[in-house]
Amino acid sequence: MAKQVSMLKADDLSKRYEDGVLALDHLNLGVRPGEVYCLLGANGAGKTTTINLFLNFIPPTTGTCYIKGIDVTKDPLEAKKYVSFVSENVMLYGNFTARQNLEFFAKLGGKTNLAKEQYYQVMRRVSLQEKAFEQRVKTYSKGMRQKLGISIAIIKDAPAVLLDEPTAGLDPKAAEEFLEILGELKNEGKAILMSTHDIFRAKEIGDRVGIMKEGRLVMERTREELQYEDLVKIYIDYMKSEPLTA
Amino acid sequence: MLKTIVRKELQENLYSYRFPLFALICFLLVPLGLYVNNLNYIKSVRDYNEQMRLADEAVASIKMQDVMAGKVSIKGFRPPALLSIFSQGFESALPRFYEFTPDGYMPGESSSGEASILSVQGKIDFVFLIQMVLSLVGLLFASDVIAGEKESGTLRAMLSNSLPRDTILVGKITGGYLALWFPFLIAFVLGVVLLLVRAFPLFVGDTQARVLSVFLAASLFMLIYFAIGSMISSSSSKTRTSLIVILLVWVSFQLVIPRVSDMIADIIYPIRTETQVSLEKSLLAKSVDTETSRELGRQYVLIYGNEVSSGRGDKETPEDVKWNAVKTEIESNARERKAHQIKQIDDAYGQEKRIRQNIATNLSLLSPSAAFARLLADVCGTGEIARRKYGEAVRDHARALDASLFSRAKRTVIALPGGHTSLSFSMQPIDVKALPKFTIAPASLAEAFKEDWASLLSLAFWLIAPFAAAYVRFLKYDVR
Repeated sequence: MAKQVSMLKADDLSKRYEDGVLALDHLNLGVRPGEVYCLLGANGAGKTTTINLFLNFIPPTTGTCYIKGIDVTKDPLEAKKYVSFVSENVMLYGNFTARQNLEFFAKLGGKTNLAKEQYYQVMRRVSLQEKAFEQRVKTYSKGMRQKLGISIAIIKDAPAVLLDEPTAGLDPKAAEEFLEILGELKNEGKAILMSTHDIFRAKEIGDRVGIMKEGRLVMERTREELQYEDLVKIYIDYMKSEPLTA
Repeated sequence: MLKTIVRKELQENLYSYRFPLFALICFLLVPLGLYVNNLNYIKSVRDYNEQMRLADEAVASIKMQDVMAGKVSIKGFRPPALLSIFSQGFESALPRFYEFTPDGYMPGESSSGEASILSVQGKIDFVFLIQMVLSLVGLLFASDVIAGEKESGTLRAMLSNSLPRDTILVGKITGGYLALWFPFLIAFVLGVVLLLVRAFPLFVGDTQARVLSVFLAASLFMLIYFAIGSMISSSSSKTRTSLIVILLVWVSFQLVIPRVSDMIADIIYPIRTETQVSLEKSLLAKSVDTETSRELGRQYVLIYGNEVSSGRGDKETPEDVKWNAVKTEIESNARERKAHQIKQIDDAYGQEKRIRQNIATNLSLLSPSAAFARLLADVCGTGEIARRKYGEAVRDHARALDASLFSRAKRTVIALPGGHTSLSFSMQPIDVKALPKFTIAPASLAEAFKEDWASLLSLAFWLIAPFAAAYVRFLKYDVR
């Protein structure tokens, strides 16, 4: 079988902020279609910076991000056609209903002229309750908002999905439901890059898991490798180890 | 994409609590303000017509002996400006009439005579409403255009799509502005309908064009403040910071700059008061009169000798002929000299006032609010142009009355070397029916725009600069 090209690729990616902090240090990673890549790490390890660089929210100091082979810095608008994003706290327009939010972001994602029923179908798919479809989002729980967030990603139908701590603050049931949906997206062939603190769920859903420390990718394991290793122990060992020198 | 953002922005504003509040303010204040000011205007017209009637009667009953005694005074009334309904401008500050006498002219009372201090300080007319209330609302609506989206995290969600930042900015400004503009449009139309019901002559002369100009200028002004608010919002990461800056900007533009401009002009270029100038003119007139009397006395002695006679014979002697010629020449020269010197004082004072006013005006144009108020007052015929034309009309009328009435009665004082004085009167026929009427040349709409080019320039600057600044800031805006 021919080796698949990465849908998401970070090539020698570094980011030093204006205050001199080196948030990302020569990161190299790739996420193939149908693969879930989990980035683990403590706060400030560079996980969110990586996602921000993929979304061109900040320019890299060195290196390049590619989405579907498109250089994100050179052609951000083209690159973003192929990526969906779900943040830790899915932020939506509180005075809009779930359907209105979905419709707005679907249009931004290039999906115009969808019927109301199509929005409802997506919301059903993420197990949002029917009665919540036309409810104002400001009344939603965090779990419901996350579901709506993933339905926005689903409706865009982009080949790559970026998730920034999507299960943080979710109760176990909601988190489980969320991961189920991710599994479905993976099976559809989406390349998923997820930053998380949740070691157990990373092991459960991730085809590959990377551990970041002080902006560096210090370890990477495949699902198969992790069958014989204790990810928790590896993670804690890395966190306890001496600070990396520049 | 732009349409989607505009629609979202409109919807978001419609669902917010602030929209109905703003709509209520518009629907209440705009029509109510126009209605009340229309009532005041109708009252002013009634008063004006009555005063004109009385003034005409007074002119018709002028007696020759009163003219001889210099006791005649004629009032020239200023008609109320129709569009003072929209912009009061100088309407209540200018004298309602001028009183013309052989000694010159004096301003009468202004129509703010009976008003309370609070209403004199800021009459609630349409311009006040736009300038003070809607500008603030515009700024507040714009305060969260960018900063609010960032704070709520939706900006990240939007920008994770293939969406150019300029499209977001333009869409958000357009949608946010339309959310302000629609209630204003409805309120304005309601107000105009209410005026039409009250028999407002909208379709007479250029009134229609002026009202349309008022509406367009007000719409532009709201857009300017919305753009300024958007610029501030795209330069702040928090709505709270944006709000504080917005309030400071508003206070500077509305209150500080227009008032400080006058103060700075006073410091840079202090001018004399009206009373000082009036006193100077009066002293000059007396000095010329005294010199004339002395010169007449000197010539009298040269012609008739030192003998003073209270009355000469009926038969005209060669001395009488010579005396009359000399007297006419001296009096004519004196009159010309006096008029010339008074004109010089008036011109110099006018020039001083113009320079001071130009300094104050140009400084105040740093504020779009001052530019807007100036432009609208001139469009409505209650601004600087109207004041200037009123002044010109007063001076022209004074000259015309002097020629047709006051100078017809001559009083000659001869100061003889021995300390004696001789007083004589002469009177030329006067046709009171042919006396000139006091009229003020109206300024056309084109004239208003032409004279207010600096205000238009200021408004254009305040429209373009904040948009450009917001654009530049937003392109580099940290969305994290």
